[in-house]
Amino acid sequence: MKKRELLRVNMSDLSVSREPLPNGWRRYGGRALTDAIVFSEVPADADPLGPHNVLVFSPGLLGGTSAPNGGRLSVGAKSPLTGGIKESNAGGQAAHALARIGIAAVIVSGKPADPAARYCLVIEADGSATLERVDSWAGLGNYELADEIAKTRPEGDRYSTIQNGPAGEAGAKAAGIAVSDPKGYPNRFAGRGGLGAVMGSKGLKAIVVSDKGLPYTEHADKEAFQAAIKRFASALKEHAVTGQALPAYGTNVLTNILSEAGGLPTRNFSEGSFEHADDVGGERQAETIKARGGHEHHGCHTGCTIQCSRYWMDKDGHYKTKGPEYETVWSMGADCGIGDLDEIAELDRACGDLGLDTIEMGATLAVYMDSGKIAFGDGKGALDALMSGATGGEPGKVLWDGALATGKAFGVEHIPVVKGQALPAYDPRPVMGIGVTYATSTMGADHTAGYTITANILSVGGNVDPLKPDGQAELSKNLQIATAMLDSVGLCIFVAFAVLDIPDAFTAIHDMVQAHTGDEWDADALMQLGKETLVFERLFNEKAGFTAADDRLPEFFKKVPLPPHNIVFQVSDEDLDSVFDWVPETAKEMGLV
Amino acid sequence: MQIDVALFAYLSKFQPDGASGRGARAFDVPDGATVGDVIEMLELPDEPRVVFVNSKHATDDSVLSPGDRLAIFPPVAGG
Repeated sequence: MKKRELLRVNMSDLSVSREPLPNGWRRYGGRALTDAIVFSEVPADADPLGPHNVLVFSPGLLGGTSAPNGGRLSVGAKSPLTGGIKESNAGGQAAHALARIGIAAVIVSGKPADPAARYCLVIEADGSATLERVDSWAGLGNYELADEIAKTRPEGDRYSTIQNGPAGEAGAKAAGIAVSDPKGYPNRFAGRGGLGAVMGSKGLKAIVVSDKGLPYTEHADKEAFQAAIKRFASALKEHAVTGQALPAYGTNVLTNILSEAGGLPTRNFSEGSFEHADDVGGERQAETIKARGGHEHHGCHTGCTIQCSRYWMDKDGHYKTKGPEYETVWSMGADCGIGDLDEIAELDRACGDLGLDTIEMGATLAVYMDSGKIAFGDGKGALDALMSGATGGEPGKVLWDGALATGKAFGVEHIPVVKGQALPAYDPRPVMGIGVTYATSTMGADHTAGYTITANILSVGGNVDPLKPDGQAELSKNLQIATAMLDSVGLCIFVAFAVLDIPDAFTAIHDMVQAHTGDEWDADALMQLGKETLVFERLFNEKAGFTAADDRLPEFFKKVPLPPHNIVFQVSDEDLDSVFDWVPETAKEMGLV
Repeated sequence: MQIDVALFAYLSKFQPDGASGRGARAFDVPDGATVGDVIEMLELPDEPRVVFVNSKHATDDSVLSPGDRLAIFPPVAGG
């Protein structure tokens, strides 16, 4: 494994320096490393948009290698949306590029004296890094920004970008950070938790990473690595979900099944099935993309074998946006009562260009509709409301701060948030396992943190009845630990669909990590990595003032039954509190308490 | 008796009326038919699947009642 270093970027004095990765963190990458850094360097009471917050970008342990689906990027900081620690995870090309240069993490600290100043961090393939002043890029949307960056690069360069849109510059709490995909479109997102606002507070408009001419990073044991990736790739190909359904239909194949299961939150979480599900679902999306000459399936980063990404084309066959992904089709679609994929794609494009998290913004628009200001189903009204924020006008100024701010401002009774972050695309009443994850995750409501939809709905990794409270806490706990591990290794969490059903796929993960790093790894070590990651997060949040009372769903999920099942969320508070009951012991082992 | 059948993803090509699309359609089955019986009548491939009857998970031996909505998916996932 290439020697890994930290790249420190101080936005107060505009210095850039490199230092060795401390030995105590050598087994960390991705989420584990961003967490360790935020935990160690950010005071828990720091202003998320002040000079004492840091913004960290880290590839996983397998970043820069040819491991299938091993190029995910973790972005960490204290979140302006939740007030807790945040790790937001993105695809795109940047993680591989950083790892090939030998960068374990980019740590952006401080804050420039001049709030109007804009900077671009340029990291060249030889490892040199400079901050360039780019004031004229202020306010540029992500797509135009990508074009401007392209003009600065030499002919024949190979580079990726990490970008901040106008929403992040404006300090919007729903702002995400864009990462360029294999074709250079800035359409992959570390969307959740307002990290774009943190980047904006630091005056950092973009990061450019060139990896021109750099090979895959070398391995401690090349032969063993090749053997392990072969086994891992076969498992991904063999499993029906990762080998067939995801490439054929994309993530949005979930719309019909969740609607059928009565768990697709519709019109601000007031119904569980959407009458237009099939009009916006993955099957219809795939048919339309094909008819319009769009890109039917590709990976969001080099080395992806699942290929669930796609491009949406407008009616004239021009690129409009990525996907849209299931979460966006839900948030802008069912949750807003909008049953037209072109209208959803317009909203997705607007969020992508402005740099807004589509989950938070869709949920926010649904809350806004629930206030009666515009009607459910009003796609044009939703777009106008969203765009009004671009000039700092109403109601966009409020909407850009997310569902909680919007619900409070407009007096909405049902505000679907945990720790200030909007719930994603599964209602926790008929899918109780995901309710445990939403309630207890350190991230605020986050489906990816412990994706119980596997056993609750999809019959992947066993079956746990979604309509009953039994077994949900245990399911969520195990998935939260496993997910924290995958996010740290740098693997896409979709590999879990195969890993949960094919035991050798799990073995192949530690074999890959061991062969690459030269350190000893086994099943226990992987799970320990997941646990240590979560310990950093739980302890940070505790210091920031979170208590068991924050690990709860909003009351209406326990009081208001959801049709068609007409049930409420029934997992007990005791069960919720059991999810992290192992933390004190692991924290002690780590020497943190 | 009559039930409603909805087939999704690549199973939609097995719709009982041969028409395209995934919308539920009426289907005559013998009284007391099970999910497994209907799957056989539809000639679905012998592969893993996820089945719902009236929005609840069902297995091949679940017995159907008149007017039930039967929805069948191949293994799918997303996120």
